[in-house]
Amino acid sequence: METTLLLNTSMLLTLMIILTPILLPLLSKSFKNSPALITKTVKTAFLTSLAPMTIFMHSNAESIISHWEWKFIMNFKIPISLKMDQYSMMFFPIALFVTWSILQFATWYMASEPYVTKFFSYLLMFLIAMLTLTIANNMFLLFIGWEGVGIMSFLLIGWWQGRAEANTAALQAVLYNRIGDIGLILSMAWLASTTNTWEIQQTFSTTQTPTLPLLGLILAATGKSAQFGLHPWLPAAMEGPTPVSALLHSSTMVVAGIFLLIRTHPMLTNNQTALTTCLCLGALSTLFAATCALTQNDIKKIIAFSTSSQLGLMMVTIGLNLPQLAFLHISTHAFFKAMLFLCSGSIIHNLNGEQDIRKMGGLQKMLPTTTSCLTIGNLALMGTPFLAGFYSKDLIIENLNISYLNTWALTLTLLATSFTATYTLRMTLMVQTGFTRMTALTPVNENNKTITNPITRLALGSITAGLLITSYIPPTKTPPMTMPTLTKTAAIIVTILGILLALELSNTTHTLTQPKQNTIMNFSSTLGYFNPLTHRLSSTNLLYSGQKLASHLIDLSWYKKMGPEGLADLQTMASKTSTTLHTGLIKTYLSSFALSILIIILST
Amino acid sequence: SEMSKDLMPGPYPRTPEERAAAAKKYNMRVEDYEPYPDDGFGYGDYPMLPNKSAHERDPWYQWDQPDVRRNWGEPMHWDFDMYIRNRVDTSPTPVPWHTMRKHFLVFLSTMLIMFALGEFYPSYRPVGPKQYPFNDLYLEKGGDPNKEPPVVTHYEI
Repeated sequence: METTLLLNTSMLLTLMIILTPILLPLLSKSFKNSPALITKTVKTAFLTSLAPMTIFMHSNAESIISHWEWKFIMNFKIPISLKMDQYSMMFFPIALFVTWSILQFATWYMASEPYVTKFFSYLLMFLIAMLTLTIANNMFLLFIGWEGVGIMSFLLIGWWQGRAEANTAALQAVLYNRIGDIGLILSMAWLASTTNTWEIQQTFSTTQTPTLPLLGLILAATGKSAQFGLHPWLPAAMEGPTPVSALLHSSTMVVAGIFLLIRTHPMLTNNQTALTTCLCLGALSTLFAATCALTQNDIKKIIAFSTSSQLGLMMVTIGLNLPQLAFLHISTHAFFKAMLFLCSGSIIHNLNGEQDIRKMGGLQKMLPTTTSCLTIGNLALMGTPFLAGFYSKDLIIENLNISYLNTWALTLTLLATSFTATYTLRMTLMVQTGFTRMTALTPVNENNKTITNPITRLALGSITAGLLITSYIPPTKTPPMTMPTLTKTAAIIVTILGILLALELSNTTHTLTQPKQNTIMNFSSTLGYFNPLTHRLSSTNLLYSGQKLASHLIDLSWYKKMGPEGLADLQTMASKTSTTLHTGLIKTYLSSFALSILIIILST
Repeated sequence: SEMSKDLMPGPYPRTPEERAAAAKKYNMRVEDYEPYPDDGFGYGDYPMLPNKSAHERDPWYQWDQPDVRRNWGEPMHWDFDMYIRNRVDTSPTPVPWHTMRKHFLVFLSTMLIMFALGEFYPSYRPVGPKQYPFNDLYLEKGGDPNKEPPVVTHYEI
């Protein structure tokens, strides 16, 4: 009994610690927030959140807390219920660890920013919303967290609001997330009307769930986790500062959609249509993003497409009915992706704002710590044996190979795995090796502890996280035990093929001359022509027809023609026709009146 | 205070003198001035400017209003709010529109057809029919209890 008490108390304590820098300035006049204070707060919260994780690992204790209840109507109550289960207790320390490192890095990166405390408060508010989403036990609290992360994403992407491209990118993020929210609200409405509850425990039944609410959930995950169809906002979100990209668009916010599907996976389990949709959508997303990453020249865009590709892989795992493995991939991916973003931030700042990899090179000698950690992160991303990514990625590929599933989905995912190796190696070769293509006299310097400490800390996490998590958390489903050697080594072989492809391509770049454009390269570098086709067509038609409907149709036709002017037109027409009939012979009219009255009197 | 009556938009210009006056009012050259056709939609003498968004204007020129890339006194497009830099972008694409549409639809249709094919020919590990020991569930499968069950061997040596 003390175990659950300790568990609940420490989780609530973590949440309270996080809320302190937001609430205290409202309560006291003399309290001044600062970036260092917020960083220390998140570090404290991380250390506190290790307690529930240890309790869970030791005694497998889970709990649900129900606080105050919003008595909505007589029959439908919405409590504030928090679920401390495997997923939330594992996610808290990982998210807090990554956030602590990112905040520490941001004290250096955003040092020249005038409103730096506001930036840190925004990041903290985002973190609170994300943790709310994670720990929520009912859909209402989850929705609060969901919208919270969406709004904070908008505010943070458009942080440099004088820049029109940043504003457009923030608008894209919020609109695409909104389209996904339609799906979430649809499934919430179905849940409320059919099962009369929004608690996650009460929505499961052994019978089949109809496909429509599940498609709503999948639409929500497509919007939030940038699957194919609602994906353009993620590369556009790179307009925000690098700490924002590292926190939101790699480790935490974009996994919210996948997290939703993990939370509601018992609903998905029995419905093969929904699972196949997840599988095919995930496979398409992962290949599309990997293809686009092959020809990008902006270092942040390459890492953004890498995130998008890994999210597709997580969606594939959901489609294979393996939510725990998807969560493992979320956890390990957070470490190395955040580290990749922080390394790229260090490179960008040191090169005075240069983000184009065609203008970098030879950084291995100039930024040894950063580039070594970049290499470690890339190796983890590729699934190098026994680094963090291996434990999740290799398991996913093994499960793919031995399942009964859509063949094309399998092919696409294997192809995307090899492309991952290709674009990763391309980035490494162009950024770190070779002759330098920078401008001369760039003050490149990483002697600051605030740069190297977060990056090395995350590197340690990238190396050990996979091993630690899989050692201490037993799997809920039986993992595949036997398979032929070729199947077992399929992931490694495919990765090595990708590496060979990258080396071959870099050779041809240096020795042969290629034509400036060809069809495939055009398709890949313009992201499949998706952006111009959808953005220009839909927004032009919508705005143009909106203008026509609002001003021309409604104002002109309904208010004018159906009202005063139309009436006036009809009346003038009537009076014009009847004027021609007038002849003005008053005497004749009066005599005709008198004659008809005389006849009537005489006839009666 | 408000604009004077002669600076506001007016009815459709019918004579060349009215056209010249309207062009002067809108700060345009008479050769450039082209009103919207008079089809009852209420445009009046407002000029029909080319449908080009703010993206296509020079980003490095010193505009009077740099955020919308416009100079003072320049006539504004009727759908001005649609063509700012946060909305529709009409700048020329590196690849022509019909080529983009064709390639994208080819990609999408190929993916969908291959997914459908993958549904009909799924991939799975090699499997065989389930085998039971002794007489292969002869009684449970509805065999005659009085007859002798046939001897079943699942292997070959």
